[in-house]
Amino acid sequence: MLIDINANIGHWPFQQTNCNTCQALLERMNKFGVDISVVSNMNGIFYKDTQAANEELHNEIISDQRFRDRFIPFAIINPIYTGWQNDLEICSTKMGAKGIRLYPLYHDYKLSDPSCIELVRSARDRGMIVAFTLRMVDRRPRSWMDIDKEWSLEDLVPIIKEVPDAKYLVLNISRGTKLSIEETKLFKDTDIVFDTSGRNISNLGELINTYGKDMFAFGTHSPILDYLTGLLRIESLRDSEADEATKKLLRSGNAKRILGI
Amino acid sequence: MDEIPPKANSPSASYNIMKEVMTYRKISAHEHVGISKWIPIEEQIDIADRLGIEKQVISFPIVTGSGKMGTPEEFRDCNNVVLKAMKQNPDRYLGSCFVNPVYGKESLEEIKRCMDQGMIGLKVYNQVKLNDPLFYPIIEKFIDLNMIILMHAVCGIGFGGHRTKYGNRQPEASIPEDFVDAAKRYPEAMFQYAHTGGGGDWEYACKAIQDFPNIYVDTSGSNNCGNMIDYALKYLGEERLFFGTDGSYYQGVGTILASNLNEAQKKKIFFENFNNILRKAGNHVN
Repeated sequence: MLIDINANIGHWPFQQTNCNTCQALLERMNKFGVDISVVSNMNGIFYKDTQAANEELHNEIISDQRFRDRFIPFAIINPIYTGWQNDLEICSTKMGAKGIRLYPLYHDYKLSDPSCIELVRSARDRGMIVAFTLRMVDRRPRSWMDIDKEWSLEDLVPIIKEVPDAKYLVLNISRGTKLSIEETKLFKDTDIVFDTSGRNISNLGELINTYGKDMFAFGTHSPILDYLTGLLRIESLRDSEADEATKKLLRSGNAKRILGI
Repeated sequence: MDEIPPKANSPSASYNIMKEVMTYRKISAHEHVGISKWIPIEEQIDIADRLGIEKQVISFPIVTGSGKMGTPEEFRDCNNVVLKAMKQNPDRYLGSCFVNPVYGKESLEEIKRCMDQGMIGLKVYNQVKLNDPLFYPIIEKFIDLNMIILMHAVCGIGFGGHRTKYGNRQPEASIPEDFVDAAKRYPEAMFQYAHTGGGGDWEYACKAIQDFPNIYVDTSGSNNCGNMIDYALKYLGEERLFFGTDGSYYQGVGTILASNLNEAQKKKIFFENFNNILRKAGNHVN
């Protein structure tokens, strides 16, 4: 089984993307053998009221039984926009969202913002996963209207310290994976899974040695990034780096564990 | 609204990515050795083995701002590193010579020295723009040699780019319009626009150079955008694209595999197109 923990539908306003609907994503999943995708609607990064994007995603998923079977929705929540508590409640109880995605850089708040901490705690209390995407796009060729900041792993340390018993996905790791000994321990002691889409997952065998085989899972960051590089990093591992049991964890086992499926 | 249960009806898809990877012969048209903090040679060969990359075209350029000025002594030292790697791994590496056109006479002498020892092309960086008259004698030399010139390229409208409020980090680096100038002046020369995935705006670049058939691109780089290969194919056609890595091996292979290119087109990009360039000077891979 193969589970992609980092897929998106919706529009990226600065560049045309392919396969950004549930139908197109499903076709791509079938072509490349992906069973399940954790999916969010990128429109929610740009709508002030992110719940509209969550509703779009929900309506698309419930429109086809195949989508219901193959997609796990994550809601996009902005904790500095009014009504997020109700939105979270609806996404959790009525839309089947297993987790939430936060975009502090786009929604213009800090991880230390009390509302953000409250949201992460609320997600934790509901058993929902909290996903952070360290960057949506490479800032070098980005649009002149896009943000100019990207995050490193260490940027997440404050929120993890604040809510260490939440479950986290860390996606598209592109600006360094090195942490201090103390920070590495913090990450290893927390229920965190990194996806394999980011450019800094350049030596997955070594990263498994550093963080452990339970902390990585296949992810594409589709449609922004190509669909196969994250898989290639897993499947090209030598037996000495990852035996078949470990590869199964990377393909789906770790995703299943944190998603509770 | 009803809750959606996360069912998992497996599609039982039988896609085997490593089988597909190994289907295609590959030449990386853009790789390096010797650069500080770069992937060591042993690791490069190991990754290449995993991904079925037969040959890598390597160079050791000096980056303006690195503290080195690109003097003749410095570029000779760089090329000696490449020559050593070629000799130690003759089946895996093809060498490209690096020079600084500011030193015209010494550059031409160095080109001869390197070609006499089996190098197959030129790699130039950001000391001088490609359309600068300082480059003319070097371009003319490579027309005579029937070899390609791989030029570092920038096309930044984002961070550190040439059309941005955030400042241009490489003001002397060549932008697509510089390639076009050179290609117009020397239509018989062959230019390789470096790393469409290297952080530049690949859409802008492809559109800028689309009408100039003597400008090729390599698709290397860490920014493996989902639509990049299909977009490049649309604007440049299937003959002008080269597979490359530039340190980002998985992205280099992954972007092409995941594209909508057909099998014949993938064969061209992974191997045949660059091998046809090599063939012009008799340096092709059998």
